[in-house]
Amino acid sequence: MSAAESHQPPAAAGPPSVPGPFPSPSVPGPPPAGPLEPWPETVRWRPISRDLIWVELLRLAAVLAVVLLGVVIGWVLNGHWLFGLGLAVVLLLGAGRAVSIVRAVHAWGYAERADDLLVRHGLLVRRLSIVPYARMQFVDVSAGPLERAFDLATVQLHTAAAASDARVPGLRPAEASRLRDRLTALGEDRAEGL
Amino acid sequence: MSEGPAEPAARPPAQSPEPTPAGTPAPPEPPPAPGAPAAAPAPVPPPHPGGPPFPVNPAYPGAPMPYPGPPAYPGGPPHAAPYPGGPYTAPHPGGPPHPGPYPGTPWPAAPYGGPPQPVGPGMYVRPGPPAWPDPVEPRKRLHPLSPALHGAKSLVVVIAGLSWSTLSRVGFGWFAAMVVALALGATVISIISWYNTGYHVVGRELRVYEGLLWRRTRAIPLERLQAVEVVRPLLAQLTGLAELRLEVVGGGKTEAPLAYLTVADAAALRGRLLALADRAGQPAAAPAAGATVPAAAGQPAAPVAVPPGRALHTVGNQDLLVSQLLTPQAFLLPLGLAFVVAQFLSEDSWSFIAVASTLTAMAGVVLQPVRRVLDDWNFRLARDDGTLRVRNGLLETRAQTVPLHRVQTVRATWPLLWRMKGWLRLRLEVAGYSVGEGDERNRPDRLLPVGDLPTAELIVAEVLPGVRLTGLPLTPPPPRARWLHPLGRNALGAGLHEQVVAVRSGLLTRQLTVVPYARIQSVRVVQGPLQRWLRLATVHADTAGGSGAAAESRDVDEAWVLAAELSARTHATRRSG
Repeated sequence: MSAAESHQPPAAAGPPSVPGPFPSPSVPGPPPAGPLEPWPETVRWRPISRDLIWVELLRLAAVLAVVLLGVVIGWVLNGHWLFGLGLAVVLLLGAGRAVSIVRAVHAWGYAERADDLLVRHGLLVRRLSIVPYARMQFVDVSAGPLERAFDLATVQLHTAAAASDARVPGLRPAEASRLRDRLTALGEDRAEGL
Repeated sequence: MSEGPAEPAARPPAQSPEPTPAGTPAPPEPPPAPGAPAAAPAPVPPPHPGGPPFPVNPAYPGAPMPYPGPPAYPGGPPHAAPYPGGPYTAPHPGGPPHPGPYPGTPWPAAPYGGPPQPVGPGMYVRPGPPAWPDPVEPRKRLHPLSPALHGAKSLVVVIAGLSWSTLSRVGFGWFAAMVVALALGATVISIISWYNTGYHVVGRELRVYEGLLWRRTRAIPLERLQAVEVVRPLLAQLTGLAELRLEVVGGGKTEAPLAYLTVADAAALRGRLLALADRAGQPAAAPAAGATVPAAAGQPAAPVAVPPGRALHTVGNQDLLVSQLLTPQAFLLPLGLAFVVAQFLSEDSWSFIAVASTLTAMAGVVLQPVRRVLDDWNFRLARDDGTLRVRNGLLETRAQTVPLHRVQTVRATWPLLWRMKGWLRLRLEVAGYSVGEGDERNRPDRLLPVGDLPTAELIVAEVLPGVRLTGLPLTPPPPRARWLHPLGRNALGAGLHEQVVAVRSGLLTRQLTVVPYARIQSVRVVQGPLQRWLRLATVHADTAGGSGAAAESRDVDEAWVLAAELSARTHATRRSG
């Protein structure tokens, strides 16, 4: 029932995952093996919604607007050239952050295997989390106002370990509730906890 | 898009009961059915089974209640479609709260432990009452001396809070008056809180009631119990009392310190709670068993007497003293004293307050070895089938009980100065302690405060059967990792054993962390920018409580293999047992 289609049973990851009824998104062929794509022949990553880019960009824009407003007011009142420099720096940083947002959203992916959920994210520091369903303590589905406006939700899988981060943002609500239901069902099937 | 294949699969079971009840009371042809007046929004009974699906359940036409049977999805809106996997009726923990009555939790009405567990009354026969009044035992108070003890404890806090500078400012008389007033206030508050505090065991829960204005009732599910500790501070030892502490998964701090009980009460309650926790843990281990708890699961009447168990090891007090002299703090002590003396001589003004403040500030650092000596004095480790029992302490004695299957991590530490003696220290991690808990002393993590390698091997073999501390297959990271760890590369190492993953780190203070596969909660692979450039990655094995194990700077390909192997072995241990 795994939605991550697996072409071959992974060499070390137990039984082969059963192909599920859910068609995997249109990822043409196995992606090129990047440094953070382990076992590239066995895992097909599902991307998150590109709309998350807009959510993140709007968040960035809100922060930038406040900062820019402060700088501009300072410039108008004071007139020192350093404020102009600050304005340029803030704009430059904002542009850089915007680019990294776009790339980070593209880099975020998750995969459901037979026994565990894989989540990878991060550009500068790349992270991959492998969370067995059986270790699930509870699942959070959250959607802030901005996310709701773009029809997105975030699913987070919590284990007993504080360090494990299995957070999948930018999911469509239908997909989010499907993932939640599947995670809970699988988690209860195999509940082990500690 | 995902609901597409799920809906047709789930609809037939919803429709299948329709023809049988609807067919009997109502004639199929006339639309106004006489037998179904209650189903107002669905006046038309389905003429044939294949008809259009009704939004309201027409399966109970004559019943006055809307859903007398299994409430399919009372929570409604978010779950438009049932589970794709089939007729799955349990509620989702992550979903919105279900208002409907869930048959599994009859919490307010009937406490668990009533009818389904006939084992209950027979197992814990206490000398006082002949048998437990089955479902609800009366709420008990703590010992009446406890407010006095709390007041005395607060005296110390008050004096520390007022500090030396206050003493110098207001003079001794006023200072004493302030201390007495504050301590009296604290005592009055603790008397009030004692009066309102109660506890009792209901079914498989310990309930603790607290508070006068803000009432708080904590129900501690015993299947989540990780460790129990009986602590006896100095004053409590003088009065024959003890404090009972419970460690529960997910608790940010020690839950429910029951302070104070008599020693006999504390020991009896500990035995009872542990036995209950064991019993509560049985169905979780074998989910198919359900409510049938085998009567032979717990050893009858064994835990009440708290037998000392099979002694494993006793740490010699002399070794403990020497080991704490071989710490940086002990070496810094002469320096600190010299500093104080130099200050005193150079200032040439005998200022008692200044010297006292300096000494107090230093004491925080320097006293740590002293505190360790006091804490670990008379350290005795015993094994009592399935649990570890640790007793230690000179002024404040502690008796910790840790079930062996709750041990998440075992960590061996070789401090630099101990290496000449060949000593090491063993600690264990239990779930339920947040990493950030300030007071390190309160964590029941001591396994061996000081000891040599054979002793440590013996203890590790008891805690993790089949694991030899020295026989762990550790391999260092590739040579290019020295760019990230210029000195400590050779100290790093990681390896997979049959049952555990072992990780070594630390140049000066060597550490070896051992995590059983069965305790791994999640596996992470993290690769920083420099590591990416060097084709390295760090693999983390996260555990509940503690920081888990991190295999630093492995080769990328090896890291992937390691991660895959870790998760596969985690699954394998779970499946086998």
